[in-house]
Amino acid sequence: MQQIRTDAHIRQVSRTVRNIRHTPMIPLWAIIGGTAIVALIGAYPYYGTDAYVLSLLGKFLCYAIFALSIDLIWGFTGILSLGQAVYFGIGAYVIALSLKMNYTLTHATRYGHKIPDFMEWNGLTEVPHFMTPLMNKPFAVVCALAVPTLLAFLFGAITFKRHIYGVYCAVITLAEALILQDFIIEYQAYTGGFNGITDYSNYSGKWFLWFILAVTVAFFIIARVLTHSRVGTVLKSVRDNELRAEFMGYNVANYRIFVFCVSAFMAATAGAMYAAWVGLVSFLDTGPVYSIEAVIWTAVGGRGTVVGPFVGAFLVKGAEFFLSGTLAEWWQIIVGGLFIAVVLIMPDGIVGSLAKWARHRRRAISREVLEDSEPNVEACQLDWDAGATPKVQEKTR
Amino acid sequence: MVMQSIITQLLNGFSVVAILVIAALGLAIIFGVAGVINMAHGELIMVGAYTAAVVGKAGGNTFIAMPVAFIVVGLLGLAIERGIIQWIYDRPLETLLATWGVGIILQTVIKLIFGPELYYVGAPKILRGGFHLIGRLPFPWYRLFLIVVAACLMALVFVVIFKTNLGLKVRAVRRNRAISGCLGIDTARVDMLIFCFGSGLAGVAGAVLAPIKSVSTTMGFPYAVDSYMVLVLGGVGNLWGVVAGSGLIGEAETILSFIFNNVIGRLLVFLFIVVIIRIVPRGIFGYSERQ
Amino acid sequence: MSRITRRSFLKKCGKAARAGALLVGAGAPYVFSRNIVKAAESDTIKVGILHSLSGTIAIIETSLHNAELLAIEEINAKGGVLGKKLQPVVEDPQSMVQVFAEKAKKLLLEDKVVAVLGCYTSASRQSVLPVFEQYNGVLLYPTLYEAQECSKNCFYTGAVPNQQLDDFVPWIINTLGRKKFYLIGANYIYPKETNREVKALLRKHGGQVVAEEYSPLGATEFSTNINKIASSGCDVVFSDLVGDQIVAFYKQFKEFGITAKDIPICTPITTEQEIAAMGPENAVGHYTSFNYFQSVKTPQNQSFVERYKARYGKNAVTNAVMEAAYFETYFLAQAIAKVKSTDPDALIYEGLPGQEFLAPQGKVKIDEKNHHTWLWARIGRANEQGQFDIVWKSDNWIRPQPWVPYLYPDKACDFTDPRVQSRLKKPWSEEKNRSGTINL
Repeated sequence: MQQIRTDAHIRQVSRTVRNIRHTPMIPLWAIIGGTAIVALIGAYPYYGTDAYVLSLLGKFLCYAIFALSIDLIWGFTGILSLGQAVYFGIGAYVIALSLKMNYTLTHATRYGHKIPDFMEWNGLTEVPHFMTPLMNKPFAVVCALAVPTLLAFLFGAITFKRHIYGVYCAVITLAEALILQDFIIEYQAYTGGFNGITDYSNYSGKWFLWFILAVTVAFFIIARVLTHSRVGTVLKSVRDNELRAEFMGYNVANYRIFVFCVSAFMAATAGAMYAAWVGLVSFLDTGPVYSIEAVIWTAVGGRGTVVGPFVGAFLVKGAEFFLSGTLAEWWQIIVGGLFIAVVLIMPDGIVGSLAKWARHRRRAISREVLEDSEPNVEACQLDWDAGATPKVQEKTR
Repeated sequence: MVMQSIITQLLNGFSVVAILVIAALGLAIIFGVAGVINMAHGELIMVGAYTAAVVGKAGGNTFIAMPVAFIVVGLLGLAIERGIIQWIYDRPLETLLATWGVGIILQTVIKLIFGPELYYVGAPKILRGGFHLIGRLPFPWYRLFLIVVAACLMALVFVVIFKTNLGLKVRAVRRNRAISGCLGIDTARVDMLIFCFGSGLAGVAGAVLAPIKSVSTTMGFPYAVDSYMVLVLGGVGNLWGVVAGSGLIGEAETILSFIFNNVIGRLLVFLFIVVIIRIVPRGIFGYSERQ
Repeated sequence: MSRITRRSFLKKCGKAARAGALLVGAGAPYVFSRNIVKAAESDTIKVGILHSLSGTIAIIETSLHNAELLAIEEINAKGGVLGKKLQPVVEDPQSMVQVFAEKAKKLLLEDKVVAVLGCYTSASRQSVLPVFEQYNGVLLYPTLYEAQECSKNCFYTGAVPNQQLDDFVPWIINTLGRKKFYLIGANYIYPKETNREVKALLRKHGGQVVAEEYSPLGATEFSTNINKIASSGCDVVFSDLVGDQIVAFYKQFKEFGITAKDIPICTPITTEQEIAAMGPENAVGHYTSFNYFQSVKTPQNQSFVERYKARYGKNAVTNAVMEAAYFETYFLAQAIAKVKSTDPDALIYEGLPGQEFLAPQGKVKIDEKNHHTWLWARIGRANEQGQFDIVWKSDNWIRPQPWVPYLYPDKACDFTDPRVQSRLKKPWSEEKNRSGTINL
């Protein structure tokens, strides 16, 4: 079919090419959709009266941040950590300890004294000196965020500098999580042990919900900017082919340590807010099972995408809270099936699959446009990856 | 008196090492050769233990339960491999997720069948009681049996890997999958058989451990964790690594628990593992791959 | 004709918006589950059941869940309460304390249950108590526990240490003639508090602690501990191990050739259920102190065991915690019938205190003052059939003492005390202390 080249065609082609190569940092649909969701959640205290749903919303936001932190290291960098909950847990524990000690100053525990009950049944008569600084809340917040980040730095320096990646890294992070769990249970005089820390004044009002929401939004923007910047490109190249990235002259280990720290910081923030919002922390919040759970949220939502963890955490956790009661035992089978299904059938997750579909569509359209016009647009053709084109060609012709 | 206790403790340590070897051997095969991170390993052990319980109910004992568990769990492993694992060999980290899901499903299904309560498995009559070696406590026959079983299983694996045709292929695939394939080895079949074999070993572990531990649907996870620690410490891809890892962890844990207490013993062992990994990232007998 | 008033319209709008939010947030199932719940609202009384059906504690909690469902079925078969049927609302907290708190909140706020029967571990109880106190719910808790607690919103139908230990420890010293105790327990609050009381009792009655040791929960390798026990020179082991630890410990104890004649294990925890799991030959001769055993010879118990087996299979065994879960359901039904209302404060102040029931173990009663339960004390020796031979039984039921006088002489729990009452009259937002503890 012979076509006449017009200016309109050329404009269209160049626009399409621009669309393919330069997706905006935050696309319009994300801004609109994100604003709508933020508004819907943020306005809940005004149209909803249910304290239970309110408490769930805050909690789910913390889960979403935690999943995002896993996505950063796993989805974008290829480090699978089974100990990510360590950073979440330390953040949560520091805040919970601080709040609990402050609470007992004004509210006697069940023993009738002004120290946390777990200290009392372990034979302590006063708060130990090394813990008193935590009673200062701003200091506690700094601790809750800085300690996990530093720990992540240390851990990263140990493992990544020694080229311990992949499977080994997963197992070592598992060991790390188990160490912390055992530590918390053994030193129960200072941590509450198996019972965890409960019964302190938590922040449950709308202001704190907004705070969590704001932090969530900020983290999602940071993650988007980070992963779509030059650093993000390097991280992805490290994920896809570490050796080549190294030969290109990038210091792979340093990039990994950097992103590991960022992710630990996010997890710690999520943990700190979680403890303040829920009013309960337990050693399970630091354990490998929790980490793996969060990995599956990320996988369901779509790893390697920024929105995926949010969608995954809300969907899986939401379904769990509403189905596990009525379905009880079958729920476990559903969860197990979900793990398998997401790996076998939908490795890109929900958002990932949607994004892939959208990308194909865009390319299909642009190809159609290009085919109709001058076939000799080298720059564009170089940019296409080989996998997507054949099918599209068949479809368009 | 103290000396006697310490010697008894060393002996106990051997039995703990044997338990670790038995539990970790199946995983060493699956993880070390097939390269699959099998998080359902603990649940395979659990199924083995329940098989032993069923065999016990039917009038059999541990000696009968061992081969039965090997077959039952081996077939289960075969089903898992054919149904799930065969599609994802090239994505090792994702085998972790899929097998974690398999583990959850196995736990739930077993609970639906057998109920949530703990199950009873007795030791065979001739292995009850013990013999006096040193100190006040007799050394139980069953613990000696565990040590013997561990040695036999090690020998079995050695024979299979180094003396059989399958073993030759397995080693070839382990070294270089692509070239093995080019030379006409059916790598998919080798993977399948090795997964099946590893699962069967996990089943035997369950059947052997059931009489001294408690049998419940959630019994598996601690074994899986211990097995991974053993492999990471000892090194993957070398069977001596299993022995070395089990030996270090088992003896260290029993002795440290005796000196301090169980919790501190466990903590110190974990720290020890992390330190060792820092020094030899691939484990003590690690197989160093040239990239 | 249905009129749309302003209020109902706003309500509907709110619901619609909320459904929208959750469709985005938590998915569609929420809407469905609400509709199902709504269907049978008016002609039933909803009772929450909060026991783990999955995870590590499910081993024991499933049996509590079963016992409560059995009791509810029986009550409904007799015509229910106030002409309404009891409707169980079952949640599965998956053996995780966070989920316990979460589900408790759901039962109170979403399902609006009249009371919750639930929890097993101390950890789970402590995690849900703040929720019950904040939203003024009623919790009935069936487990034996470490005491030193009494909450306005909780009724404890399991034994407290004074009902299990006060007679048990002297009995070990005087009747068994064993004075050197080796204390071994799981590493959490219940064993630590129990051992504190055991130690106080030993001081009082002339016993001696050889060693005190705690093992991580879930650890099932005890050869080291048994070696320590053998070389310590003790003549009795007092065990507060829990769950599958019990099974592994008894098995390995026997394996290393220590019999109940050499060193008996005495414990306030081991039930028929664990003995069935370890095999009776591993438990023969060891002692347990409890208020109920399956072998208790009362007509109520015989019929209870029969009904339980008829419902859950002939191999099912009953145990003390399960029995407490069973009769607490009756307590609740009787209390609702007594006050003719489902108002929590009516139940807490008038309905439940003083409630009596002829339970399988004998007549039991919720104390008028402290929300705990009058129970019987028994000591059983495990026999070859996996049951207990009852070797000692208290002459009368025993008053519960959340604060034992030999450790806390200056404390008591009394909800009838005017100081406590004036404090509890205030709403939760002003006075967060919902405990009935007073200083004498």
